[in-house]
Amino acid sequence: MTFSWKRVNAIFQKDLKDFSRNLAVSVVVFLPLILALFNGRAGENTITGHFMTINIAFTLIATYVQCCLIAEEKEKNTLRGLMLSPANTLEILAGKSLLSFVLTIIVIFFSAYLSGYNPPNIWMISMAIILSSIFYIGLGTLLGLVAKSVMDSSVIVLPVIGIFSIGSFVLLLVDKYPILKIAEYLPNVQLIELAEKIEVGAEFSEVLSNLGIISIWVIAVILLTIVVYRKRMVD
Amino acid sequence: MALKFIDAEKHINDTIIFPSFSLDVLPNEVAAICTSVNVREQLIDILLGTKLLSNGNIQNLSEKRLAFFFLNDGLYERLSVNELLKFYQQLYQSDESTENIIRIVQLDLKKNKKIKDLTYSEKKRAQLACILLQNSEVYIMEEPDQNLDVESKRIFISVLNQLRLTKKTVLILTSHLESAVTVADKTYRLDEKGLHIVQTEEVQQNVSDVEIEKEDKGIQPIRFEKIPTKVNEKIVLFNPPEIDFIESTDGQSFIHIKGENFPCSFTLNELEERLLPFGFFRCHRSYIVNLQKVREVITWTRNSFSLVLEDEKTSVPLSKTKMADLKGILGLK
Repeated sequence: MTFSWKRVNAIFQKDLKDFSRNLAVSVVVFLPLILALFNGRAGENTITGHFMTINIAFTLIATYVQCCLIAEEKEKNTLRGLMLSPANTLEILAGKSLLSFVLTIIVIFFSAYLSGYNPPNIWMISMAIILSSIFYIGLGTLLGLVAKSVMDSSVIVLPVIGIFSIGSFVLLLVDKYPILKIAEYLPNVQLIELAEKIEVGAEFSEVLSNLGIISIWVIAVILLTIVVYRKRMVD
Repeated sequence: MALKFIDAEKHINDTIIFPSFSLDVLPNEVAAICTSVNVREQLIDILLGTKLLSNGNIQNLSEKRLAFFFLNDGLYERLSVNELLKFYQQLYQSDESTENIIRIVQLDLKKNKKIKDLTYSEKKRAQLACILLQNSEVYIMEEPDQNLDVESKRIFISVLNQLRLTKKTVLILTSHLESAVTVADKTYRLDEKGLHIVQTEEVQQNVSDVEIEKEDKGIQPIRFEKIPTKVNEKIVLFNPPEIDFIESTDGQSFIHIKGENFPCSFTLNELEERLLPFGFFRCHRSYIVNLQKVREVITWTRNSFSLVLEDEKTSVPLSKTKMADLKGILGLK
């Protein structure tokens, strides 16, 4: 079956209208922005500070919003209608992810602007951010498919917010508990590491390992999502 | 395009859900299968392709060509009717105009209202509009007229007529015989004994009348007016004026009184004979109604009618030929 942008666009526009009228979920969009504003005004100007807001934006918008969008389709019994339509799996997932992707990028752009983050190599940072947002959206889709309702999804997403937004502080404890070294491979920690390297003027080849690790996370989460989606389709 | 069931049967472990049956639903025909909730759900899962038949097959079962009208289908509640239809139009890349379809389901006045502000019947009409947009060949409908208000029911029946004209195949799955008989051209009953057609024409009636007259040689000496029914080995007697209506399913007659039903050992023909003096009327091959309790006669189309009883919830089908008789009884011309 051919991939049709018209159908993806139809789902995107429907979600946009639906989302803008759903205040309970759409209000989280402003949270990273407010945080960024405080950070910027307080003169906090470290990479960790900037990426704290960016990681919160990832978990809240890419993961939480995506999770709610998918869970709501399931709860209201509309996902079945979508699955029965001519749209195929890829189109449905792409259409459902497009809104959270666009929102994430916009919010990160503005929060970077508000907190005064100005990376020397903007292209490499944007690439890393786009790659990470795909990972977080994939994670959100996965959780949305597992959650039974919107209520469920806001609970399920809590540990994710915990691990991926504040998780970077775990590194401070690595000297004490060597087991926590695993945390270095988390995509958020990798993103911060990458940003720090770029800040001191690293070349593309130097950050390749960080991008590689994030890509592995992306591929893993996409595969898992497709497996779970197929399984849910049969139920 | 016809929908064909060929020797379809389903059993789970040792329980027979439905035995082997064959059924052709032709284009420009509305068929209804009247069955229990369990069988209905199994049939829908099979039509959806999520469950398989134990034996036999269904022809023309390519999922994307079937349009489903589910009982519990969700609509995007925060969109307006217009936006919802635009979305489905784009999704299905349909060339039907949304304006036209909104007019068919008569939601013109509500088209800018959000779905969540509509009543249940209006939501069902919006759902109907969505499946009309799909412009599919075969429509599968689950309990389409359950809990609908009278106006929406009428719109639904006129939509069915339109589907007939455009040579679509419609299969209705319901557990209410009354609604099946009212809307469908052919009604079937599917249970663990198999698929039986529910006679809606009056062809065989004369034959059975003659047979019963032959059997009725020994007339009871005392005329007894109460109607006996059986409830858990007890025999309960009812006064004829208490009865709302009597329905016959699979040769067993059931007496309906205030929403409850009681099996009765008499056949409809015997009951009709007994109850005629009390103002009862055989309004359909499988129904006798207490005319005292009829509140309204609804005309769906030129040849499909229903009688609404005093509780304004129950309705009983009235066949075309009996409509003339009823007019006679009422003294109308």
